[in-house]
Amino acid sequence: PIGQTSDELFSSQVHPVLFSAYKTVGFAEGRAGEGFVCIAGVRVAVVGSISPVCRAINISLPQVFDENGKDVTPQPLYQPDPAAVMSKHSKIFASDTSGGTMSDFYSTAYQTTTNASFAGPFTRSVFGSSTVSRGSQSTMESMNEEIEDPSSKRDISISLSDVQVRREEVKELIKEEMLDDVVDRYLIESETLWLLHMPAVSVSVDSEEAVSVKERNNLYMELCKNRMGNDKYVERSMQTFNGAPKTKEVQSEAITMVDAATTWDMYDSFRSAGLGEAALSPDTDKATSASSSRIEMEPFVVPSEDEPDPELVLQSEKFQQDLFVMERIILENIYQPKLAAYRQLPTLEDPDSVPKVVPTVVSRREESSLDEESTLTPALERLWSFSCELTSGHNVSSMAWNKRNPDLLAVGYGQFDFKDQKSGLICCWSLKNPTWPERVFTCESGVTTLDFSASNASQLAVGMHDGSIATYNVESREKTPVIDSSDCAHKHTSPVWQVRWIDHERGASGEDKGETLISVSADGRISKWFLRKGLDCIDLMKLKRTRNEKAKKQVGDKEKKSEALISRQAPGLCFDFHPTDSNIYLAGTEEGHIHKCSCSYNEQFLETYIAHKGPLYRITWSPFCSDVFLSCSSDWTIQLWRQDLFTPVLGFTSTQSAVYDVMWSPKWATVFGAVNEGRVEIWDLGASILDPTIVSLASPGVKLTSLLFATETDCILVGDSDGQVGVYQLKNLTVGEGTQVR
Amino acid sequence: IATFLGRKLQPRPQNEVEETLKRIQGQKGVQGIIIVNAEGIPIKTTLDNSSTVQYAGLIHQLVMKARSTVRDIDPQNDLTFLRVRSKKNEIMIAPDKDYFLIVIQNPSD
Repeated sequence: PIGQTSDELFSSQVHPVLFSAYKTVGFAEGRAGEGFVCIAGVRVAVVGSISPVCRAINISLPQVFDENGKDVTPQPLYQPDPAAVMSKHSKIFASDTSGGTMSDFYSTAYQTTTNASFAGPFTRSVFGSSTVSRGSQSTMESMNEEIEDPSSKRDISISLSDVQVRREEVKELIKEEMLDDVVDRYLIESETLWLLHMPAVSVSVDSEEAVSVKERNNLYMELCKNRMGNDKYVERSMQTFNGAPKTKEVQSEAITMVDAATTWDMYDSFRSAGLGEAALSPDTDKATSASSSRIEMEPFVVPSEDEPDPELVLQSEKFQQDLFVMERIILENIYQPKLAAYRQLPTLEDPDSVPKVVPTVVSRREESSLDEESTLTPALERLWSFSCELTSGHNVSSMAWNKRNPDLLAVGYGQFDFKDQKSGLICCWSLKNPTWPERVFTCESGVTTLDFSASNASQLAVGMHDGSIATYNVESREKTPVIDSSDCAHKHTSPVWQVRWIDHERGASGEDKGETLISVSADGRISKWFLRKGLDCIDLMKLKRTRNEKAKKQVGDKEKKSEALISRQAPGLCFDFHPTDSNIYLAGTEEGHIHKCSCSYNEQFLETYIAHKGPLYRITWSPFCSDVFLSCSSDWTIQLWRQDLFTPVLGFTSTQSAVYDVMWSPKWATVFGAVNEGRVEIWDLGASILDPTIVSLASPGVKLTSLLFATETDCILVGDSDGQVGVYQLKNLTVGEGTQVR
Repeated sequence: IATFLGRKLQPRPQNEVEETLKRIQGQKGVQGIIIVNAEGIPIKTTLDNSSTVQYAGLIHQLVMKARSTVRDIDPQNDLTFLRVRSKKNEIMIAPDKDYFLIVIQNPSD
């Protein structure tokens, strides 16, 4: 309103909305400027009479215009005379120039409506003072009771109106100067508005109704007194009508309860906080969100495509390892009875499986045999066989246990005959998985022999039909050999029939300590291999053909002529080092001779044992008697020798087929096993020297080719020409203790 | 280099996964193989869809509980394998943070 002229103020309509029910007039503490605003906006006394005055006060009087621009602000109910208003306004303005605040103005304005005359002296008094004092409140109040002074009013009004114009400029000056003035404000209670007034009706004692009224009053008083225990007044409950409820279904998500403060969760958070990694709480979120709903969006980033994600999972290392373990566990489930028998554990019967009818028949038979004989017949029970589609059709040529892990088996596949050679195969089988080998190595030529190293347990030496020797590292998944003898100048030119890792205790030239690889091949050489810028070998022995002097004498000249030597070397087929003295070894040749040789002499044999008439397939020292060794050959015989005797101590013949393999039992001194073409035989020399104790026939069409005793259990492994390695358990073999040499 | 049971994991040829899965599926008594990812969505399965979803959901909860149990006892420990032997079959679960490998087998089949 400072900028507004008084004309405007006059013309502006009063807005009743801004009037409140109570008057808040008076001095108030505060800055002059503020007070000005505050009073005007907030509190304006109602009662329509004040309205015109207040209109002036109200700075922010809104004006309501309708669509046509017509001023339709609600008109006040009371329209005072503009003249009277003007006088008041002038008075108000005068108060302002005196330095009074809006409150002064307001108060004077208010007062003027009720007691217009009082404003005059009031304002005059205020004019005198530059600062507002509290005392003026009381004066104002006192002014309320004062009588009007109409005469003075007129005077004042005139005087005020004179001052009116001047006031405009002065007001501005004042406003700037007096901004920091302290302004008093006073709040006064407004008039009471009666909404409902039911005045008590009083009846005069002398009126006609007095008696009845009195009676009624008395009755009421008694009623009030008697209300408590009176029968007339019964507590009665009222039934309210309940509105018919309507069921409304609301769907919400399932509330997942999460046990968040678990021990491991705290441990995880603590660890991750310590390491500074991302908090692992998403894991718990993941768990809950995954369990609640799979359809909803995850809080963390989800790859937009689904395709790479499962692929990543499937190709991960961990997954492959899990698959590997899972396969083994499944197989363990299947093979559990067999494996338990292998380990000589009592087999657990599956409590849920349906008991089969067959075992009862067998047990009855066993019982009957029990009646006949005091002991059960020793037999070979087939447990399982190592075979898979890779190996079918290949001939098992050799088998070897891993020296460190007795559950690992290396099997070499290769044809013996020269004519049907195919590529060789080496499979490393684990006992935990009889259906698939752990490692598969393919070789160019057939594998004829292999042996695990004892010092380096993952090293496997392989001898092949083309004369080459290679070593493989079975730990790695590489398909190629670690080292190959193909570059060696002295390599074998004929099939290598046996390789062996031999541990020398003492070396001849100081460099032979440790393990070395010895091989014998059909080119008549026994070679020792070592690693020196590649695989190289030196010859331990050249197997020369020896002539049977006795035979020569008998036959005479004809013999000489028929022995046209193609080569001076006799093909070596097998050898075996002495179990205790690693300098001495036996070598068997195709001629049927056994030569005892020494590593120190590489020109001459120490001894020669002649008995066999055909190529020797195996020589083996007895692990218990250091003087005794066995030899088997294709002349259908197995011979038992003693070191110092030049004729065999015992000879064993059972069938008319070549004996391919013979092996002493690692557990019993008098037991050995032999495999010929059609059957497996277990001989127990303590029981009988004429017949094998156990005979097990091979499946028709399949030739049995190799034999291996299991080191820690009573099982043997038999390899056949179809690529199967059968595991058999020796049952009921009662062997006397002790070693006998007759 | 990742280690498993103390042995170094060797990189394997990629098709070995498929071969191994085929071999497992062909073993005696194996009724089904389910591979579920971390969110419970089956990646690969040999069972029908309804059984797969059922197994995946139920086994997920079971594995969470089992893992929580193991880790509550010793937070440095973790669940590596879970086998549930029932009257009719056996459920073998290999859990990991990225996936579950579930195999159902009836060994007496």
